[in-house]
Order: sequence, then structure tokens, then C-alpha cells
Amino acid sequence: MSYLELKNVSKHFGRLTALDDVSLQVEKGEILGIVGPNGSGKTTLINVISGYYSPTQGTIAFEGKKISGLRPDKIAKRGIVRTFQSNVLYAGTTVVESMMISSYLQYKTNNWQSFLNTKAWKKDDERAVGRVVELLKMLDLQNDMNLPADGLSHGYQRLLGIAMSLIANPSVLLLDEPTTGMSHKEAMFVVDKIKKISEQGITVILIEHNMKVLMGVATRVICLSFGNKIADGLPEEVMNKQEVVEAYLGTEIL
Amino acid sequence: MKHYFKKISLLDYKNIVPKSVIGLFIILILLIPVFTQSVVIVSTLTLTGIWAVAAMGFTLVMRTGQWSLGQSAFMALGGYTSAILTVQMGLPFWPSFFISGLVSGLIALLIGMVVLRVGGVYFAIITLAMGEIVRIIALEWEPVTRGSRGIITSAPPPIVLWGHELVNFDTSLAPYFYFMICLVAVTAVVFWRIGESRLGRTFYGTALNPIMAEHQGIYLMKYRVIAFTVAGIFTGYAGALYTHFLQVITPFVFGFWQSIQITIWSIIGGIGSLIGGPILGTALLYNVGVYLGRTDIPGLQAFLFGSIVVIVIMFLPQGAGLVDLWKLFWTKIVWREKEYKTDEPED
Repeated sequence: MSYLELKNVSKHFGRLTALDDVSLQVEKGEILGIVGPNGSGKTTLINVISGYYSPTQGTIAFEGKKISGLRPDKIAKRGIVRTFQSNVLYAGTTVVESMMISSYLQYKTNNWQSFLNTKAWKKDDERAVGRVVELLKMLDLQNDMNLPADGLSHGYQRLLGIAMSLIANPSVLLLDEPTTGMSHKEAMFVVDKIKKISEQGITVILIEHNMKVLMGVATRVICLSFGNKIADGLPEEVMNKQEVVEAYLGTEIL
Repeated sequence: MKHYFKKISLLDYKNIVPKSVIGLFIILILLIPVFTQSVVIVSTLTLTGIWAVAAMGFTLVMRTGQWSLGQSAFMALGGYTSAILTVQMGLPFWPSFFISGLVSGLIALLIGMVVLRVGGVYFAIITLAMGEIVRIIALEWEPVTRGSRGIITSAPPPIVLWGHELVNFDTSLAPYFYFMICLVAVTAVVFWRIGESRLGRTFYGTALNPIMAEHQGIYLMKYRVIAFTVAGIFTGYAGALYTHFLQVITPFVFGFWQSIQITIWSIIGGIGSLIGGPILGTALLYNVGVYLGRTDIPGLQAFLFGSIVVIVIMFLPQGAGLVDLWKLFWTKIVWREKEYKTDEPED
């Protein structure tokens, strides 16, 4: 039994097949890269795992329990948290306020304890705030704590997105193109951080177009094309596979 | 949430002075019935407070990003519950008053559980329709609500303690005034705690980015329903007090125009603030509205209020309203602070 297991998952949008019979096993502690040309179903795969869509066919199981068909918040509570492809933030909040809103799953105390301002809540809150600061320091955002989140540069907004997912205590982190629009140096910084996240025992699944980034970080890579999984293996193996090259560059006509 | 990472020392006069001015102002308002017996002043203030509770309810629902355009229906529900229980069924006043808010809250809960699954514009439309439905039921269900004749209620009974009559609602308006103050205070304390606790943060999350919030473990409907129900409970109490203060309730007291007025007061007062905004907005505009209502120019009130809403929405961004001018007054005019500006994001 794998940690996260997709069994024959398909997703149809009307007549369009976004995912076609995809099976996938993810082991604990892996950094799984997902590659594929545009429109190959990478983001749909993440949307299906995180519960944004429920799969048309097939089942998804996490730690042996079925999660397909659950609401996104229930899946997040089980420990699967995602980031978004575009910079999706809480509009009009500062960095630290966004983090405090996202820290919902950090707390062990319930709403009543919070409402009545009990000692347990205060202690819990202090711990959560400590964790927020820790994460912001880890992702190099500690100097921007009280700045408006939508005033940050693109790269820092991506990092904030990752921080906001990490504060939700994930055991599996789904990163949807964490390095889009970043310079090589910034992308390498993110790679470094993903490695650090992985060292904390968090399983990471990331979509990535930048092959250099992927080679540096992923322990395993799968390739999707038109909703089908066409390759699965070590990064070097997948990159050199004939089908993958064809999916990206097309076939030779001679 | 603003106090995180900013420790306020005891000598922070820039924080203490504006607060003590507000405190003084509240004490002055509390003493008004002692200084004056004027029926006009005391009753206008009492009604202002009652409507302010309804406006606070609207703001709480707004905090979760939902437009509840039928808040006055909950006042009608609370008012009718209390009136039916005391007059038609002969229950004593205090238990009926207690039940009235709970009935209104229960109905908010039931409606919320159905409609708040989708939220957004559907919720706005259905709350708007709900206001009309409540009015029509009150009009048509004659055996219980006495139809368009309405129900004549009585004043709350005098409170007797150790053989002495402490409070008598029949002889003066002051007891109603302090009753209203108690209701506003309880509502304010509950809403303040909601705003400060994790609930308030979660409400913000559901409003600012529902999809993101959902992927971070927040069950959107639960928090929308909590806000709607709490608002329903306190709005119901406001309606019950209104009914016993005016000693009559008819289907025409709480209609569409009242719901819209609640919306206007909250927006102009500032929906960024759960307590100060709606109270300030209601205090100013309810009284202006009463004054304008006496002038014989039809539509003047609607025209002016509409214009003010447009101005507030255009020039005061992100839920700011009149209440934020207070802060601006102290920082810009009194302390002459220069704001630290960050780079504006380019569009």
C-alpha cells in the first residue's frame, strides 16, 4: 500500500478528457516531479488530488483511506495542501495577516476556546505565531512581514504562497509551478527550500517546466501527455525517453 | 490581527488618548436620560441603538463576503415572535423576549444551511426574497399575526426587587434607553470577541479568497452559517425590543426599504469595523434620515443616501468608511504622522 495512491483516475469535462486512466503511487518522503506539455493535465491532476474536482472515474487513497470525492477542506485536514498556479492571495492583507488566516489548521484549540480567550487558546496562538515567524524566516520573508501581500514582487508572492501552504501543516505538499516567472537564481533558491521542506518529512509533488530545476530536486518524475501517463522513473531516464521528447517537440517527419 | 508583532506599551499615548475620548463620549451618552427627560431625544437615541444592532449584524455577515439584503426580516421575525408569545399566547415578557432572538437565529440557521452552500449573488437574491416572504406571511397569516392590523404589544413589566419597584417601563423612557444600551453592549462584546478570535480571521479568509481558504482546511459554509446565525440572533433581539418599545408591530414596519437602509448605514459607517462602523453609520444617518423624512421633498432621503454610498465606495477603499476618518483625524491632524508608504503594485 502506497502513501498516496491514484487508481485509474479519469477526469472528463464534457467530451474533453483531461485525465485518462492515470495510475500513480507516491511514497512517503518523495519529491515527485510532474512534467508535460501545456494542456496535458498536470494542473487537473493536482486539482483532482486536492479535491477541487472530483474524479469522473477511479479512486484516490491517502494513507490507505479513500479521499476522492471529499471536499477540499477535508482533504486539507487529512494533510494534503496545495499552492496555486497563479499568485492567489488574500487581497488587501499584509504578509503576516495572510499567514494568520492560513494558519487555520495549525490550531489544536477550537473556536469556542478562541472566542472565550482561554489560556489554552492563548498558548496555542503563541505557538502558531512562532511557527509563522519560523516559516517566514525560512522562506526569506521576515523583512516583509508587515507589508501588503499584493505589493510583494512576483517571486516573493510565489514564496508566500508556499509559506501559506506550509503553515497548514501538510504531510503532502502539492506545488503548482512554484518557479514560474523567476530568474535562474530565484528558481535555485526555491529548489533549495523545496529540499529543506522535504527534509522535514513532507512529501512534495511539483509541477515544473524548468528542466534544470526538476533535475536538481526531483527524486522521481512522471510525464503526462493528453491526460495519459507516458513515463515514470528517475529524472534522467524520463528526460531521455523517446515518447517524452516526442510529446514536447513532436515527431520527426522524413 | 493588527496587534501581532506590535507590542503596545502602557505609555502609548497615541493609542490611549483616542480611546479615552471614545470612552468619555460613551459615558456622556449613558448620562443623557439623567440630564433630559425629552421624549424626542431619548426615543430617537433608543431607536438609533436598536437599528445599530441590526447594522452590526449586517456587517458580521458582510465579513464573510456575503450580502444579506434582508436583515430587517430578522427584526420582523424577532418582533413577531415576541409579540405573538406575549399577546396571543399570554407568556410573560422576559421568556418571550429571550425566545424571540433564538427563533430568529434558528430560522437564519435553516436558511443559511441551504443557501450559503453557494453564497454570492444567490444568497443576496434569496435574502432579498426572504424579506418579502416574511412580510407576506405576516400579512396573510391572520389568525396568528392579525394581518395588516398588526399586534398591539405592551411594555415590559416593572422590575420589582425586595418589594421596591426598581424599573418601570410605563412612567419614563429611560428604562428602554438602558435596555437598548444593554443590548448594544452585549452585541458589541460578542462581535468584538468574534473579530479578535480565530473566527474573525476565518471570516476574512472566506471573504477574501474562498477557493484558497477552502484548500487550507476552512469549511466555507460552516463559517458563513455561523456569521449569519449570530447576526440573526442579535437582529431578532433588536426587532423584539423595537416592537415592545413602539408597542405595535405591523407587516409594514420591517420592509425592503429598512433592509436597504441597514445596508447603507453599515457601508457608510465602514464595513471594515464590526462595531464602530455600523454604530457610527447608524447614529449619523438614522437621525439625518429622520430629519429628512420630516421635510416635504419626496425621495430626498433616498437620493442623498444613495449619493453618499457612491462617494464612500469610490473614495474610501476596501471597506473603509466614516469610522476610519476617526483614526485619520488623530494620526494626520492631531499627531501629524507621516505614513510610511510601500511601493504600489503596478496593474
